[in-house]
Amino acid sequence: MAKSLAAQLKESAPPCADASPSNYLFKDHPDENKWADCVHCGMCLESCPTYLETGKEQHSPRGRVHLIKSVAEGQISVNEHFADPVFQCLDCRACTTACPADVDVGGLIEEARGQVRKAIPLKGWKGAVSGFFLKGLFPHPDRMRTVSGLLKFYQKSGLQSAVRKTGALKIMPSHLADMEAIMPKVKQPVQKKYKDYKFIPAKGNPKARVAMLTGCIMDVMFSDINESTINVLTHNDNDVVLPKNQTCCGALHVHAGDRDMGRKLAKQNIEAFQEEGKVVVNAAGCGCALKEYPELFKDDPEWKAKAEVFSDKVEDISKYLYDTGYEKPKSTVNKKITYHDACHLAHGQGVRHEPRQLLQDIPGVEYTEMANADTCCGSAGIYNITNPDMAGAVLERKMENVPEEVEMISMGNPGCMLQMALGVQKYGRRSEIVHTVQLLDWAYQKDKENIAANQKAITMKG
Amino acid sequence: MFRSKRKRQTRKDVHVAQLEAIVGPTEILYEREDLLSYDCDGFTVHKAMPKAVVFPKNTEEVAAIVRYCSVHNLPFLARGAGTGLSGGAIPLNGEVIISLGKMRNLLSVDYENRQAVVQPGFVNLKLTNSISNKGYYYAPDPSSQYVCTIGGNVAENAGGAHCLKYGVTTNHILGLEVVLPNGEIIEISEDGIPDSPGYDLMGLLTGSEGTLGIVTKITVRILKNPQGKQTVLAYFDNVEDGSRAVSGIISAGIVPAALEMMDKTAIEGVEAGAYPVGHPDDIEALLLIEVDGIIAGIDEQIDEILTVCKSRNVREVKVAESEEERGKWWANRKTGFGAMGAISPDYLVQDGVIPRSKLPEVLRRIKEISEESGLRIANIFHAGDGNLHPLILFDSRVPGETEKALEAGTACLKACADVGGSITGEHGVGIEKKEEMRFIFTDEELEAQTRIREVFNPDDLLNKGKLFPTPSRCMDVKKVIKDTVAVK
Ligand SMILES: Cc1cc2nc3c(=O)[nH]c(=O)nc-3n(C[C@H](O)[C@H](O)[C@H](O)COP(=O)(O)OP(=O)(O)OC[C@H]3O[C@@H](n4cnc5c(N)ncnc54)[C@H](O)[C@@H]3O)c2cc1C
Ligand code: SF4
Ligand code: SF4
Repeated sequence: MAKSLAAQLKESAPPCADASPSNYLFKDHPDENKWADCVHCGMCLESCPTYLETGKEQHSPRGRVHLIKSVAEGQISVNEHFADPVFQCLDCRACTTACPADVDVGGLIEEARGQVRKAIPLKGWKGAVSGFFLKGLFPHPDRMRTVSGLLKFYQKSGLQSAVRKTGALKIMPSHLADMEAIMPKVKQPVQKKYKDYKFIPAKGNPKARVAMLTGCIMDVMFSDINESTINVLTHNDNDVVLPKNQTCCGALHVHAGDRDMGRKLAKQNIEAFQEEGKVVVNAAGCGCALKEYPELFKDDPEWKAKAEVFSDKVEDISKYLYDTGYEKPKSTVNKKITYHDACHLAHGQGVRHEPRQLLQDIPGVEYTEMANADTCCGSAGIYNITNPDMAGAVLERKMENVPEEVEMISMGNPGCMLQMALGVQKYGRRSEIVHTVQLLDWAYQKDKENIAANQKAITMKG
Repeated sequence: MFRSKRKRQTRKDVHVAQLEAIVGPTEILYEREDLLSYDCDGFTVHKAMPKAVVFPKNTEEVAAIVRYCSVHNLPFLARGAGTGLSGGAIPLNGEVIISLGKMRNLLSVDYENRQAVVQPGFVNLKLTNSISNKGYYYAPDPSSQYVCTIGGNVAENAGGAHCLKYGVTTNHILGLEVVLPNGEIIEISEDGIPDSPGYDLMGLLTGSEGTLGIVTKITVRILKNPQGKQTVLAYFDNVEDGSRAVSGIISAGIVPAALEMMDKTAIEGVEAGAYPVGHPDDIEALLLIEVDGIIAGIDEQIDEILTVCKSRNVREVKVAESEEERGKWWANRKTGFGAMGAISPDYLVQDGVIPRSKLPEVLRRIKEISEESGLRIANIFHAGDGNLHPLILFDSRVPGETEKALEAGTACLKACADVGGSITGEHGVGIEKKEEMRFIFTDEELEAQTRIREVFNPDDLLNKGKLFPTPSRCMDVKKVIKDTVAVK
């Protein structure tokens, strides 16, 4: 058998290089202090969707930490048997909540992925897909906007319905075809719409100025949510800035093991928001990534310090509204609604109560709590594209918990919205998928319409 | 199904291929990297690699695996969630591990007769969660109940905070289905009628630490939720006062549902962990006391508890004002072991039992042991039934510290045995405490017990090397003689 990469590199290294038996060969390797916290108690097992699905310890948080540690101890090397459990992880962070010792399993996994991707670069279609999205597209807002144009053309031109009718989709892998069916209607990105604005002014007396992360996919596929976020912020007397030089948050890159690209994007964002005091985010995954920028720079004190200043400014929209106050809408939204905790909000940022409160402050909302609301839906960035079987199984479990009677499922992350929409479609449900701020925005819009109608009535009477 | 294509395939050995034929290709692990996650359980001091891990889906598959192992002389053992703290699920002899993780269903609930039937891999807390909407619960509540399996609980005769009033696992088991080490399937008290005539086999199997058979189905008793519940938290400036309060409460005739204690180091750990409550950092001990039952009477009991605490110089004492507050206090307590990870890289938890009255004395001795060994020792324990859990904090990366921790652990157990106590309350003997069995049993007593094991497990293929000290001298000599005779 040919010698492993590890063995070859070790032999060629000078004897003084590294006395430790570690089989990690690249810098930025998993941090020993993180696994030293793990006492192997197993209290995380039942929180882990991949463990529940497989029943196998190597697909559990405890097992993954154990494997990561075993590589460092020189017991096994970074190979495909190691890569498999490390990449099957959904990065959902449920284990972080469950772990009594506060082990940063997510951080360890991301570091381990960085090592794997350097040791075994992706090949084949996964490499191509991941290269196309992660390198060629997300980091380039201009290209994303072009895609938005294309997507819009595709949807408007009738081509979409033609494709759907002709069954051309059948030749796509089934999970991609599923995704196509639930692709949201594309509207105009807010970055484009407000490109001539220095800031979007508050409705009344401005009480604060906030910068908003417009995101990469968010502003293309979900620009209406960005629009709602702006509306809700300005409605509550915030001036909103959309810094132009901002870029993709890099979460997907870091999840995929491309930490170098993650750092590059992080630096650009840190600089783009340098002048701002508050950064509001409406996508849980992005918000969590921004908050974790310091992790990426643990070997670079200068940038680490900058990243820390930056991450302190980051806030999820629901928490921002909750903390700074918001007007309770007067109009009713008569809907039965449940809430799904996006992993990167609940487990990643500890935001659970705030969005629920927002929903329940809308008159008419009949709120039902969903069982296991904070278990992953299987979306997990592009996980549903790279690991469709596991993502599908996790989604199935999630859908089992969605109460039959709800008309809307609200959440705070676009990735989850796509995945849950897929679930609704696949399991023949009728619930609509909405972002929490969208609901609030709708209620405010209704308020406005009511006021206008009243005024009209008064004018007519007069 | 979730297996990605992998390049290397260890050339499958013939036994692995045969076992794979029983459970199917996705339900067996045999690659080194995959097996590594099974090299230990919650007791991390010893590690050993299994030959393979199999995931049977039903009793018949378990029986087929066991038969195969028994015919081919392959050592094997059962594993639940692997939270055991004495190493019971560690494959010391390169065992085939039979994971019950795929047999995790609630089979039936009979509210009228107050019993439920579960598969062995069913998680303890899930039972309560599944029946709580009808006002029922399953009483044994080990702190690991979020993840540990009822099969594992039966094997270890697990206890928990609320066992002071309600009893440990064995008091809640009504029937078992067991695969014996030769592959035969037997039912004990199938119909769930307690106290059937004949020997109490259920009692024997419960707590046998997976050395007599593999439990594949369990009938358990379920209880109606108590009408009322009140929880008290009391802070003390010294451990003696805390321990005296414990005795005071019991001798006042109160039987609390739970009576837990933590010392200063333990408090430091839980406050650094994931579920801090905000306990003051300068107290020496805290008590968590719960009373439950019919509502009439609870208030008087609480008053009495408050009086006892005050008479023992309590610094502060409060009653939980909401279910939320109560939940927080319990989460803080129940995640206590794991929380030690936040203040120490490794811990070794000991599990001794002492007469309640000896509490202050033994705690003093444990403090001395800590000073002698130079290792910090945190105490979290079920004070009500005198079940101590000294947690010895160490760093296995420091050469020699693991050994020191083990020695300190042994010394703690000795301290318990010396005051007339026992070396395990609920975590079992496993590998960890088999030598310490000599503190409480004579050679003859040990031999009598190994003979019982031989009846069930004659070739010692099932979970070999656990529970009893090796070599259990006279026993081994006899076995050699027997083997020689057999050869002749
Ligand atoms: C943080 C923490 C807190 C804990 N708190 C408590 C506590 O309060 N009280 C308490 O009693 N224990 C406690 N424990 C110990 C442990 O959780 C219990 O011993 C539990 O019963 C083990 O269950 P398991 O499913 O993890 O079994 P495992 O660890 O997988 O196995 C334990 C033993 O049981 C055997 N076994 C497992 N399943 C079967 C089966 N189906 N048939 C036959 N044998 C079987 C195994 O061979 C092994 O010998 C704690 C552990 C941890 C990590
Ligand atoms: S990650 Fe946390 S919960 Fe899981 S085994 Fe380690 S210490 Fe325990
Ligand atoms: S992040 Fe989610 S999938 Fe990954 S180990 Fe933790 S719980 Fe499991």
